[in-house]
Amino acid sequence: MKIKLEMVELQTQKGMELIDITQEVERVVTESGVRDGIVNIMSKHTSTGIIVTEGIWCVEQDILDHLEKLAPEKGDYHHNRPLDFAGRLGFNAHAHLKSVLTGYTAFFPIQQGQLILGGAQRIYFAEYDGPLSRTYCVQVLGE
Amino acid sequence: MIDFHTHPLLVREMWEKHPDLRRITREIFFLNSAPQPLEVFLRELHVAGLERAVLLPIDVSTTKGCQIYSNAQIAELCQMSDRFVGFASVDPHREDAANELEHAIKHLGLRGLKLVPPSQEFYPNDQKLAYPIYERAQNLGVPIVFHAGMSWEPHAKAKYGSPMHLEDVACDFPGLNIVIAHLGWPWVEEAVMLAIKYPNVYLDTAALYFDNPWEFLTFVMTKRLPLTLFERSLRHKLIFGSNYPRAEIRSMAKAIRELGLCADCLELVFAGNAERILGGRGREPLKQAVDSGTLRNGNR
Repeated sequence: MKIKLEMVELQTQKGMELIDITQEVERVVTESGVRDGIVNIMSKHTSTGIIVTEGIWCVEQDILDHLEKLAPEKGDYHHNRPLDFAGRLGFNAHAHLKSVLTGYTAFFPIQQGQLILGGAQRIYFAEYDGPLSRTYCVQVLGE
Repeated sequence: MIDFHTHPLLVREMWEKHPDLRRITREIFFLNSAPQPLEVFLRELHVAGLERAVLLPIDVSTTKGCQIYSNAQIAELCQMSDRFVGFASVDPHREDAANELEHAIKHLGLRGLKLVPPSQEFYPNDQKLAYPIYERAQNLGVPIVFHAGMSWEPHAKAKYGSPMHLEDVACDFPGLNIVIAHLGWPWVEEAVMLAIKYPNVYLDTAALYFDNPWEFLTFVMTKRLPLTLFERSLRHKLIFGSNYPRAEIRSMAKAIRELGLCADCLELVFAGNAERILGGRGREPLKQAVDSGTLRNGNR
């Protein structure tokens, strides 16, 4: 069985945004040479997410708006305090909560060297605490 | 629009060129965030709606055996983006401190001086140690940003950070522009008193010590003291600073913008006041500057 792991770095541009990474995942799958197997995508951060949804701007915006309602930036959080291990305050609880709500992973089957995606499905890296340099991993397993 | 108080400690390109910056950031400055590409710093400014940032080093050669960015490193970083305004720092315990400052201003192109009495372990009104530096800064026409109040760095004692030590300096060097950083917290009223009384004393907003930027600044600037004080009496004395990367620029800028200050006042806080003390009119008395219209939106 082949196993290929690639770390992909991306630069986010805003406080909150969804970045379509579908083509990047497909590239890693193609380059792996795996014909039949699975691909896992995982964000390395606790204030970001991996989302699969329909790839149109209105859905993207509704997701971000709804997450902001569920975990508003100005909420009343225990995390709003000095972190004695960090040398700064941790006032990004909203971003951690959004990350928990959306999850940090996704997986897809691979058949005949192609990612199996639904017709409307796109894979997004979700930034909740940007702009920052971020990393996600794509691991391909199969024959 | 400018952020007057940033420390470029997490710039990955500088860590790669100067590997000791990692240890200095972690152990001396006490900041454990991950390094980021320079682009992140610039994006932070953009998202906050600002164009420029003042970069502040801290020379702790005597007390810690290092510099939290040397003047040369600040100059190097300024070469990487025209959006940066570099300040110098000198070690008051060194006899050549005033000469170092002059070198940094005249030959490295830096525009001001940062001193951190709690980390550098000196009282700002120590005439023997510090006054030669102030005299040189005054002659060079550059402002000094003084850390005041609490410090996050280990072993940096607040006793050196009381804004009251700065009254002697403000009084003895009337031609020297002094910026009291972090609103002097927890001695905010003392810092405000000095800014009200002395034409050459300013305050920067780089203060965040509990809760979050909105809660902290709202408490300090609208509850502990009335917002009208800043709006009416200190609009020409308040300068936006974030203390990035201890706090994100966008969060601090948003918090200041949402306090309820009028548009003219915000223009002064984010631009006019900083431009004035950076712009070569450092020794121009405040009233004269207002009267001559050199303050942008300088409502009286």
